Amino acid sequence: MAKQTSVIHASIVAALFAVLGIGGVVYGSRVALPGLASRHGAGIDAMLDYLLITTGVLFAVGYCALAYFIWTGARRGRIGQRLASRRTELWVSGTIGIAVALVAEGGVLAIGMPVWSEYFDATPPADAVTVEVLAQQFLWNVRYAGPDGQFGRTSSDRIDDVSNPMGMDRTDPAGRDDIITQNAITVPSGRAVRLRLRSRDMIHSFFLPHFRVKQDIVPGMTPEVIFFPTREGSFEMACTELCGLAHYRMRGFFDVVSPEAYEKWLTDQSTPPPARR
Amino acid sequence: MHIALQRERESRREESVRLLLWMFLATITMLFAAFSSAYIVRSSGSDWTRIDLPDALLGNTIVLCASSITLELGSWCGARRRWNLALCGLGGALVLGIGFLVGQLQAWRQLQGAGIFLPSSPHSSFFYLLTGAHGVHVGGALAVLGYASLVATGPGRVEARHWSRAMALSRTFWHFLLGVWLVVLLLLTQY
Amino acid sequence: MAQTTEQTTDMRHGSDAEHAHEPGFIRKYVFSFDHKVIGIQYIITGLLMALVGATLAMLIRLQLGWPDRVWPLLSQIFPKGYVSGVMTPEFYLAVVTMHGTIMVFFFMSYVLVSGFGNYLVPLQIGARDMAFPFLNMLSFWVGSISALLMISSFFVEGGAAAAGWTAYPPLSAVASAVPGSRNGQTVWLVSMAFFIASFTLSGLNIVATVFSERARGMSMWRMPLTVWSYFIASILGLLAFPALTAAAVMLILDRHTGTSFFIPIGLVVAGQHLSHTGGSPLLWQHLFWFLGHPEVYVLILPALGIACDVIPAFTRKPVFGYKLSVWCLIAVGALSMVVWGHHMFVSGMSPFTGEYFSVATLTITLPMTVFGVNMLASLWGGSIRLRVPMMFACAVLALFGSGGLGGLYLGNATADMQLTDTYFVVGHFHMMIGGVTLMATFGGLYYWYPKMFGRMMNEKLGTAHFWLTFTPFFVIFFMQHFLGIQGAPRRYYAFTAYDFLRETRLQNTIISSAAMVLISGQLLFLINFIWSLFKGRKAADNPWEATTLEWTTSSPPPHDNFGPHPLTVHRWAYEYGVPSDVGDYADQRVPKERVAVTA
Repeated sequence: MAKQTSVIHASIVAALFAVLGIGGVVYGSRVALPGLASRHGAGIDAMLDYLLITTGVLFAVGYCALAYFIWTGARRGRIGQRLASRRTELWVSGTIGIAVALVAEGGVLAIGMPVWSEYFDATPPADAVTVEVLAQQFLWNVRYAGPDGQFGRTSSDRIDDVSNPMGMDRTDPAGRDDIITQNAITVPSGRAVRLRLRSRDMIHSFFLPHFRVKQDIVPGMTPEVIFFPTREGSFEMACTELCGLAHYRMRGFFDVVSPEAYEKWLTDQSTPPPARR
Repeated sequence: MHIALQRERESRREESVRLLLWMFLATITMLFAAFSSAYIVRSSGSDWTRIDLPDALLGNTIVLCASSITLELGSWCGARRRWNLALCGLGGALVLGIGFLVGQLQAWRQLQGAGIFLPSSPHSSFFYLLTGAHGVHVGGALAVLGYASLVATGPGRVEARHWSRAMALSRTFWHFLLGVWLVVLLLLTQY
Repeated sequence: MAQTTEQTTDMRHGSDAEHAHEPGFIRKYVFSFDHKVIGIQYIITGLLMALVGATLAMLIRLQLGWPDRVWPLLSQIFPKGYVSGVMTPEFYLAVVTMHGTIMVFFFMSYVLVSGFGNYLVPLQIGARDMAFPFLNMLSFWVGSISALLMISSFFVEGGAAAAGWTAYPPLSAVASAVPGSRNGQTVWLVSMAFFIASFTLSGLNIVATVFSERARGMSMWRMPLTVWSYFIASILGLLAFPALTAAAVMLILDRHTGTSFFIPIGLVVAGQHLSHTGGSPLLWQHLFWFLGHPEVYVLILPALGIACDVIPAFTRKPVFGYKLSVWCLIAVGALSMVVWGHHMFVSGMSPFTGEYFSVATLTITLPMTVFGVNMLASLWGGSIRLRVPMMFACAVLALFGSGGLGGLYLGNATADMQLTDTYFVVGHFHMMIGGVTLMATFGGLYYWYPKMFGRMMNEKLGTAHFWLTFTPFFVIFFMQHFLGIQGAPRRYYAFTAYDFLRETRLQNTIISSAAMVLISGQLLFLINFIWSLFKGRKAADNPWEATTLEWTTSSPPPHDNFGPHPLTVHRWAYEYGVPSDVGDYADQRVPKERVAVTA
């Protein structure tokens, strides 16, 4: 009787693994990445799709195999002899192990390396829009070079939270027409984007989920990110490196607009504000 | 028969203590390797300038070398049952070791007299850090040597094989720390 | 005559108390030198710390599952952490940091590595105790100081450390960056220093013991996989922890003496211009992960080893591919020391370095996969007795498989770019060092409880505990992988600020609900553990009909483990499926003449 109950229970446990294996794949297949909006992102998505499919299959097969072994094993009486010889063991483990690893790894390397190289080795096209981002607790300072195409000098000792968040050197003429915004980046479609990232306090990480762009900004370093947006729209920016209390709401907007709208926006930004009394 | 069993247990014990020591030395090596790699990485920065190291360092190095030599001589004498000389060697190593630590503190005071403190420059930070870490380990080793001296000068005859066992371990640790010091010195002066 | 010699030699080994007179309570149970007592001390301490860690987990999930809800009761219990029933971001970050730190170091490392390691290694190699019983006791008490310090950090000014268990500077280095970086971070660093000292003592002891205390006939290739895993894990820990020691010393100096090892020039924090010179935050990351990556293998190797010992007892056949599995463990251990950069792909490291770390990390997949295949194949064709330890061992295998597959995404730089610092990572590491280890911990506890305490745990409660543990655990952390795919970042106090995360709301509520089931299910274990100590069915020497040496002595074993006569080992640790006078197995002492040796 005890043996009966334990067989039933073992069968239920086996069923659990099978259900989790299949259910997991079903759930996973209904989850989507944020809508793709960049060129190099297609390579990353291809990698992720490859992995989702191969690991999904391996996962389901593995869990079902486990379920099967438990199901049949619970019904098997004592085994009388050693099943597999040492040689068989080596062959089985070796073959399956290496096959699985190669499919997974081989695919990863084959698909992944070119994407990585392309992303990092790419030289920025001449017409790329260059934007500087200075991250701080807890917002993104954004700067454009303005009509003269030159960024003005900055230094950290000039930084003042109220009057000069970017630490602009006011004596530098190149900086007079720089456009400065907060938590908002606007770029035209059809051109590459080149972001120069800096941080003035903690490590932040610039994340554009739809563009498959993520770069840690370590203070003291100036990493650059180059990518090519493929559709217009307004996309959110987030911080993905713990930087303090309001890390969870360092929200900004990355707007990809038509070239005309971009020119208009630039002009609006450059027009000096009405004179203060 | 039982003496044989005892001897077998003792030699196994000796083996495991020796293994313990070598693994511990591996751990300490990794610690200084971590400090050293931090040093080397930092030294490639554009603002890296080496401070003038205090004169006391040279003297301290000689003292530490002398201490190792003295310990070696003492151990050698002990193996040949020349106990008085052996104890002199052990005592000498201890005294010189303490002299080294005192000398290191003197070196620190010399630097501070020149206005160079822990946070003064990257090189000075590493100087205090590396010499401090090394000094702490020397302090620990001195405690071990001191304990060995107490055991050796305690009541009862010192058996040769106990002596050589204790000395083997102490010597290994002591010379190891001399080696670490030479590497630290090399880093501080050359990179 | 023999007795006197035994006494003399025993005195040399520091266990004179037993033969001379009965030791007092303090010497027997508090400052004991006996590896079994120390092992149990570690386990109990670890379980107590797990209660703290689990409470912190509950607070995290309450916040993330129901971010709009108000908790007046929690305001009463944690007045500084919950203001008017709402969790403060300060408290959230401290809770997240301490949850990670406590679970990794003070639960998993204590129970799995130090607890089971100290208890099992001497028994399984046929030794009377560890090589250095005094060091063993010292390691436990130094470790206890470490645990007390860590708990105390909640009560210092500014609260506990809040820069994540990874403590990246400048966040962890500058006091004004986050409240936990005032004093909590310093207490954290000092506590970790004590922890590392304790772990070093423990690790040294295990390595020395495996080398020199093995019984006659117990060659390295006859040791159970459990002992191999502790041996390799200890060596790993000894070589890897010093990097964190070095980093911790430098961080303390940066925090309190004005040095700039990690703090770069020109920082402006809370309106203040800092006067540091050119340090590098990346240096901390390299040093931390040089420890951090091997550390996860220090945790998972013993978990896998334990599962590999439990499984054969319940399939009645040897573990599949024993020698190959040992080589896999050695390969994984060695490789784990050269792949730490995969935690830093987007950190600003050179992309060439990133390529190297991708390839290196993917090579670890090979021995891990082979090991996993061996574990799965160990069930193939077996006669399975699905008792509670076996249920958890199957859970180990299942989570190792799914967690390991997730590692493929993170180990290559390309996919990692999108997934790093998202919930994909959280799901992955929880499955591996939260799941594989947790299931192995429970499996081991149910399996070795009879040996430790002389009583059996209740099977029905254990079964219910398994269901309430494995199922919600899988749901929670499997789903978190997909939260990461949807872009949900880590260490977020709430996901409510972003439109692109709106769809994750329901999933977070499901996860939190499952978490409440998981945490409350542990009550069954606690009740079972305590109740069985007094009322559990008395255990035989070998209730599971297992072959390893600990089952050849009484439950619990005598002080010197195997009695005064030295034992001799004649076969490997997995002689199952052979006819013998006791059944279908032969323990390691049985000579060749009585039962044929199959390996």
